[in-house]
Amino acid sequence: MSGRSVRLAAALAVAGLLASGVALGLAHAAALDDRILPADKYTSDKGRALARKYQRALAELNAEVYHCMPWLDVRHEGIGFYKPRHLQGDVRYLSLNVEVDQQPSAEFSALPVHDRASRMFSRYVPALLRRMTREAGLMGEPLLEGFTVILSWLKQEPRPNERPVLDTIAVFLPRPQVADFLAGRATAARLAETAHVIAWDGETKLGEFRVRGWEDNFVATYRIANYQPASEVTCR
Amino acid sequence: MRLDGVRLLLIGAVLAATAGCATSEEWTTWRSHTSHFASGPHMGFSVRNREGTAPRVSRQDITMARNENWWGKPITVSQEQILER
Repeated sequence: MSGRSVRLAAALAVAGLLASGVALGLAHAAALDDRILPADKYTSDKGRALARKYQRALAELNAEVYHCMPWLDVRHEGIGFYKPRHLQGDVRYLSLNVEVDQQPSAEFSALPVHDRASRMFSRYVPALLRRMTREAGLMGEPLLEGFTVILSWLKQEPRPNERPVLDTIAVFLPRPQVADFLAGRATAARLAETAHVIAWDGETKLGEFRVRGWEDNFVATYRIANYQPASEVTCR
Repeated sequence: MRLDGVRLLLIGAVLAATAGCATSEEWTTWRSHTSHFASGPHMGFSVRNREGTAPRVSRQDITMARNENWWGKPITVSQEQILER
């Protein structure tokens, strides 16, 4: 290859990198920045170190949920390397806290709370774990002990002049269990069996829960009518 | 008849208030076709009202529909009760 060809190839490569960087930057900018806990708000060096090291991965997770799962609303500072309150010590889990914008059907609302929780677990937890672990380095990160997925949804359609009440489950999974699931060594049913789940009815804590899990392809197949993500975004 | 400023303001306010509202027929249609996506029906207004263009829903449309606070501020557990920084 001549010197001129080398220079041309290098220039094209740089241009490509810049273009992809700009596109990614636009996607990140469009997603809401307040959804990620800033590094300076952590209470330990361990939390701050994880936040700084995986800043880009968190921004990409935020952008992917925002653009590709638009019926989910990530809570304010709902993404971060938080410490679960029920665990002792500075144990850091990558956490994602979302509200599912779901219109409750009468059938769904009539289910026992364990069944509602199992359906939402199956629908969202496996799908979100796959997105939370797109950054390959996370699964080998020695400072990271596990993953938390918090899901809230409307319990039932409120009557006039009644405030809506959300059901919430917080799902805690140590990293080895998630690794087994991602590698295909454990099913969604097994993932549910090993998960530590705490539930709330509105603001009232219901305590620890056992949920059931199964394969649910809703996230892979559901499309909002006429929805088109921003042109710079590719949804997987 | 000459309209004074206050009357003009009132007429403008009424027009603005009714422009984005659904007719009772539309509300009935929404109620009978519930969807999985709660903001979807609400969002339908702004999308449907863009005359002369193919329907296209952007992420901003969805955010705006959700921010309309369809059912009001919900009762729910705070993140601080579950997680520590």
